[in-house]
Amino acid sequence: MTIEENSSKDNEPIVKNGRPPTSHSMHSFLHQYTGSFKKPPLRRPHSVIGGSLGSFMAMPRNGSRLDIVHENLKMGSDGESDQASGTSSDEVQSPTGVCLRNRIHRRISMEDLNKRLSLPADIRIPDGYLEKLQINSPPFDQPMSRRSRRASLSEIGFGKMETYIKLEKLGEGTYATVYKGRSKLTENLVALKEIRLEHEEGAPCTAIREVSLLKDLKHANIVTLHDIVHTDKSLTLVFEYLDKDLKQYMDDCGNIMSMHNVKLFLYQILRGLAYCHRRKVLHRDLKPQNLLINEKGELKLADFGLARAKSVPTKTYSNEVVTLWYRPPDVLLGSSEYSTQIDMWGVGCIFFEMASGRPLFPGSTVEDELHLIFRLLGTPCQETWPGISSNDEFRNYNFPKYKPQPLINHAPRLDSEGIELIAKFLQYESKKRISAEEAMKHAYFRSLGTRIHTLPESVSIFSLKEIQLQKDPGFRNSSYPETGHGKNRRQSMLF
Amino acid sequence: MELLCCEVDPMRRALPDPNLLYDDRVLHNLLTVEERYLPHCSYFKCVQKDIQPFMRRMVATWMLEVCEEQKCEEEVFPLAMNYLDRFLAVVPTRKCHLQLLGAVCMFLASKLKETIPLTAEKLCIYTDNSIKPQELLEWELVVLGKLKWNIAAVTPHDFIEHILRKLPLPKDKLLLIRKHAQTFIALCATDFNFAMYPPSMIATGSVGAAICGLQLDDEERSLFGDSLTELLAKITNTDVDCLKACQEQIESVLVSNLRQVRQQQQQSNPSKTVDELDQASTPTDVRDINL
Repeated sequence: MTIEENSSKDNEPIVKNGRPPTSHSMHSFLHQYTGSFKKPPLRRPHSVIGGSLGSFMAMPRNGSRLDIVHENLKMGSDGESDQASGTSSDEVQSPTGVCLRNRIHRRISMEDLNKRLSLPADIRIPDGYLEKLQINSPPFDQPMSRRSRRASLSEIGFGKMETYIKLEKLGEGTYATVYKGRSKLTENLVALKEIRLEHEEGAPCTAIREVSLLKDLKHANIVTLHDIVHTDKSLTLVFEYLDKDLKQYMDDCGNIMSMHNVKLFLYQILRGLAYCHRRKVLHRDLKPQNLLINEKGELKLADFGLARAKSVPTKTYSNEVVTLWYRPPDVLLGSSEYSTQIDMWGVGCIFFEMASGRPLFPGSTVEDELHLIFRLLGTPCQETWPGISSNDEFRNYNFPKYKPQPLINHAPRLDSEGIELIAKFLQYESKKRISAEEAMKHAYFRSLGTRIHTLPESVSIFSLKEIQLQKDPGFRNSSYPETGHGKNRRQSMLF
Repeated sequence: MELLCCEVDPMRRALPDPNLLYDDRVLHNLLTVEERYLPHCSYFKCVQKDIQPFMRRMVATWMLEVCEEQKCEEEVFPLAMNYLDRFLAVVPTRKCHLQLLGAVCMFLASKLKETIPLTAEKLCIYTDNSIKPQELLEWELVVLGKLKWNIAAVTPHDFIEHILRKLPLPKDKLLLIRKHAQTFIALCATDFNFAMYPPSMIATGSVGAAICGLQLDDEERSLFGDSLTELLAKITNTDVDCLKACQEQIESVLVSNLRQVRQQQQQSNPSKTVDELDQASTPTDVRDINL
């Protein structure tokens, strides 16, 4: 950048505003307070700032700090006039800058920091990119250790496409293609999720959510994101590779799983989900195809493309998020209530599917799906689902009045505790559904012992010697030639 | 002509989720991870040569206006400011790129948080077409890379409900307190002094300022005694003195913004006196202000 360039830029406004100056809520908020400036303060006639704030702030403090802090922060259209007052905010000037925290309680340990750095630090941006965008490289007064660490990571090969060998294609989805791959660094298999960048809107929301959320989720029952590779036209997410998904697993054992393994898988689903929910993340798209399983029997939640950091209250998400078969009735009926319980209905459906060998509610349309649900669990009425009688969508469907059927007739291999637990997942009223955390403590899991409840988050349940996978009765070796059908199923991995 | 007023919020909203709100582990997790997302230095001193504090304030004000006009989720603006600060703490940036950066940060925050995100085109229009969609998309990847894709940052809004539910507040005041606290949070995001404070402290200070500002009557006040600050500090495990200072700082930012608004009013209506203006706006009591 030359000096001439620089000086010519000086005359240009820094912020251009493409909208007509209209009043907006922040200003009107302030505006309203302005009005109250003149009012005699109600409680504190001796307020420092000419009584102006007394009516709002009611300051019990000695006020001496207030009058020194801010000069008029004028944001004039010329932008230059307030430069002088602005420079003072260059530093954190309050005493709070000195001790932000109760240090005794809240100190970040070195361990935290190291955990934080466990992912390849810098995502390599294609050569010439920064140059093109005229972004300078970081200055030299950055901590050397971190810079050199980044450099070394890059030298090792993280963040480079050359590091990964693309093997066969595993599947294609709406915004990504997944390949099986091999890392030259570790010789391990990886799953490469190649995301096309949208021409109009850039990085897809799904990718942004999946990556930013997964980076925060480090758990034995959640798939690990190893690396992110950024090339000109695409982004590639590098995940750990797991042999199959639950759908395939059930197929491979002829849909007759060992009931012990059903328990182990369900426990792992709940364990991963409880961790997500504690971190305010909903999965929102649980289905057997999104549950990956390795040879040891470790099960991991995958595909967080529809997941979302949860904040309350917030907009709910599009009605079209959960695969129909695992979608709860309240959502099918257009409920605006969207919370952690949205995931729990699906858990019940998956639990049933593992235990019985067939999907619980394989509806093809919303109406069909509701019909299947009501035929088994009984058509809801005001007593069994308060508020349902005023739901217009429900009334318009005009379903026949089915009586609930005993679940045990449909899943005869489940013991009474299992039946009890499944009923707790399949509650019409979402707030009555059992949470993942509670479900893990249910009597159904008593046979797994007590140590399983105190495992550290990153430790697999199979690290306990009492926890072992059993042979599934219907298992046939997966080295049999795959049918075209089987291949198709495999495509949904990570989607 | 018939005037029809049938505004209905077209967005579905989620109800409070007890599994998230009434579980202290959620709050604990938030407190543990929030510091990961703070900018790691006061960048005007050590990184930026071209960009000055007043420029950040201008961009922030513009961003807030865009977010408000587009009716973005409350979190989008503070989240976008968090990205902006973290980027500026790492990458020396030319001032002619600052607005572009601001637009990219809103673009990303909106994609993360909103059902229907802001479009690239719309954002470019808001800059009076001084940036092109293509630039926005190129910069998006640069910002993502520089932030290492760590964009699911904790914001002060994440703490508001956790704090409010632990305070013995009169039910009829709750809505107003929440609304005012949210406004203070936005105000803090426009001010660089708060950029390196943990979100939990900004949230706690904002709730404190909102409650003080409401001037509860004596009976309501006695619910806390003098211990409101202590109670607040305990909830988010913040040092009491820090919290007090933070709250004072929030209040002083409000003062200076109020002054500024007044000045702008005087500038735009030079013929009117301040008294006239006051009559025009006539709020009878701050407690009656409903935003």
